[in-house]
Amino acid sequence: MSVPDSIEVDGLTRVFNEKVRAVDGVSFRVRRGEMYGFLGPNGAGKTTTVSMLTAGLRPTSGTASIDGIDVVREPERIKRHIGIVFQESSADNDLSGRENLELAAGLFRVPRSETRGRIETLLERMQLAEAADRRVKTYSGGMRRRLELAVGIIHTPPVLFLDEPTLGLDPQGRAGFWQYVQQLRRDEGTTVFVTTHYLEEADQLCDRIAIIDHGKIVAAGTPSELKDRVGGDVITVTGSADAPDLTPALGGLPGVASVQRQDRMYRIKCANGEAAVPAVVQAFVAAGVPMASVALKRPTLDEAFLEYTGRAFREDEGGDATQWAVRVRQFQDRRRR
Amino acid sequence: MIREFSALARRELLRIGRNPQAIFTSLLIPILYLLLFGQGFDFSRLGGSSAPVPAGALSQALLGAPDYFSYFSVGMVAFVAVTATLFTGANVIFDKLFGILKRTIATPAPAAAIFGSRLVAGALQPVLLALFVLGLSIAIGQGTGLKGLHPTAFTGAVGVIEIVVAIVLIATMFTSLFLALGFVLEQPQTYFALVNALNLPVLFTSDALYPWGTMPDWLRTVASYNPVTLAVNTMRENLFPSGAYAQPAIVYLAGLAVWAAFMMTVATLLARRALSPRK
Repeated sequence: MSVPDSIEVDGLTRVFNEKVRAVDGVSFRVRRGEMYGFLGPNGAGKTTTVSMLTAGLRPTSGTASIDGIDVVREPERIKRHIGIVFQESSADNDLSGRENLELAAGLFRVPRSETRGRIETLLERMQLAEAADRRVKTYSGGMRRRLELAVGIIHTPPVLFLDEPTLGLDPQGRAGFWQYVQQLRRDEGTTVFVTTHYLEEADQLCDRIAIIDHGKIVAAGTPSELKDRVGGDVITVTGSADAPDLTPALGGLPGVASVQRQDRMYRIKCANGEAAVPAVVQAFVAAGVPMASVALKRPTLDEAFLEYTGRAFREDEGGDATQWAVRVRQFQDRRRR
Repeated sequence: MIREFSALARRELLRIGRNPQAIFTSLLIPILYLLLFGQGFDFSRLGGSSAPVPAGALSQALLGAPDYFSYFSVGMVAFVAVTATLFTGANVIFDKLFGILKRTIATPAPAAAIFGSRLVAGALQPVLLALFVLGLSIAIGQGTGLKGLHPTAFTGAVGVIEIVVAIVLIATMFTSLFLALGFVLEQPQTYFALVNALNLPVLFTSDALYPWGTMPDWLRTVASYNPVTLAVNTMRENLFPSGAYAQPAIVYLAGLAVWAAFMMTVATLLARRALSPRK
C-alpha cells in the first residue's frame, strides 16, 4: 500500500478585491513524510497558499485538508496540528530565546512536565543553548531562523510549513537551517511543505516540486522529472539586436530539437549539446550575425522554470512578477483596512 | 484559556519591565504637571494682596476642594490613567509590523486570551502610575513649601475602594479603546494621529483641569458625561466631601462602569474580528 496523503488540496482559489486571482484553482497532494516544494517568483501565490493552508486566510473557493482536518471548518485543530515558520521574522526581540520557546509552549499547551525538557532539547539541537538567555535582538539572522524553527516545532507537529524560510540568510545560515529540517524529518517523519524561490534548495531538498506562476501550478513532479521534461541540453546564444531571425536556420541543424527566440537571445534545445555547438556557431557566422555569448547548459530547474513559465527565473524578480506581487500586496492591505 | 492567558500576560509584563525608558517617559509628564503647572495656579491670590478671594467662594468653585492644586491633582490622577494606556494600542501595531501578532494568531490561543492578556497587562501600568501620582501629590504638600493635595476629610475604607476602582475602571476603559484602535489600524502614524486627536478633547471636555465653578453651562453638560469627569468626581467627592456634587460618588462610579463595560465589549468584538482568519 502506498503512503497516505497528508495534505489534500482541491481547486484552492483566493481572489482579492474580486479582481486579483492570487491563487487560482490549485490542486495537489502531499504524502505523509514527504518534503514538498512550492517554487515560484515573488507574488506567484506561494504565501497566499500557505496562509490558506494554515487557517490564516479564508479561501474564496476550493477545499484543503491536512491529515483529514478541514482548514476552513476546523481552524483550531489545524493550528494545533501544524507548525509554521513565517517568511518574515516573528521572534520576540525583547524576550530571550528560551522565553520565546516558553511562550510558544504555553500557547500550544505543551504539558508542563514536558516543557522544560523539550525546550532544552530544542535549544541544544538548534545550537542555541549558549545564547538561550540572551535577548533575541542580539541574535544573528541564522540564529533567529533556527529559533523560529524551534518555536514552530515546540508542539511536535506532524506537518510543518516553511514559507521562504531561508530568505536573506547567508549560504552558511541556509545550509545550517536545512540541516535541522532534514534531521527533523529523519527523527520525527515530519511532513514538510516549503515555499522558496531558491531553485537549488528546491532541487536538492524536495521530494516533489510544484512550479507556481500567477497563482496557477504550471508543472509538478520530482526535480528530475521536471528537468527531464525540458529535454536534453540547452545552448543559449546571445546575438545582436537588429540581426535577421535565425530561428529557421538553427531549427534545421542536425540534432536540434527546437529553437526559441526572445529578443536577441536564442534557446536551442538538443539531445547532445557539446556536439551541436560547432554547427550552431557556424550558422551565426555564416549569416554574419555577431554573437555576444554562447553558453551550453545541462538541464536545471532554472531551465524547467523557463520552459513552463516562458520567462527566465532570475529576470523575473525585478520585472513582471514583482509588479504582480506589489498589486497583490496592495489589495491585501486594502482589504485588511 | 488560563494557560494561554498567563503565557501571554507574562510576555507583556516582561516587555514592560525591559523597557524602563517607557516607564520613565510616562512618569515625566505627570511630574512636570505637578511640580510646575499645578504650582502656577493660586486662585486665592486673584484679588491681589489687599482683597484675597475668600476661602469659601474658592472652595465652592472647586467643589469642596480647599485649593486649586488639591482640585487639579485629582484630575491629573485620572488623566495619567488615560495617557499611560496609549502605548498598549501602539504595541499591538508594532507587533503586527514585526510579525509577532501573526505568529500569535497562528497558534491555537483563543482570541479572548490574546485580547485579555493585553488588557490586563496594559491596564496595570496606568493603574500603578495613577496611584503613584496620587501619592506623590499628597507627599509634595507635606512641609516642602510646595503646593500639594490636601484631602479635607479622612477617606474611609469604602472611599479608598471607590478611588481605586475608579482608577481601575478609567484605565480599563481607555486601554480597551486604544487596544481596539491598535487591532483595527495598520499604521503607527494613523494610530498616533488619532490618539492625539482624541486625547486633548477628552481632557478638555472634562472637569480635570477647570474649576467647576468657572465652567460655562454647556461645558458642564458635556463634561458630566465624560468618563474622565466621572472618575475625577468619584475621587474628589471622597477626598473633599461636600454638598457641591450633583450625585453621590457611587453614581459617578456606576456611570464610569457603564463606559468601561461598553468600551470593553466594543474592543473585544473588534479584536476578535482582527484575530479571526481573514475573509
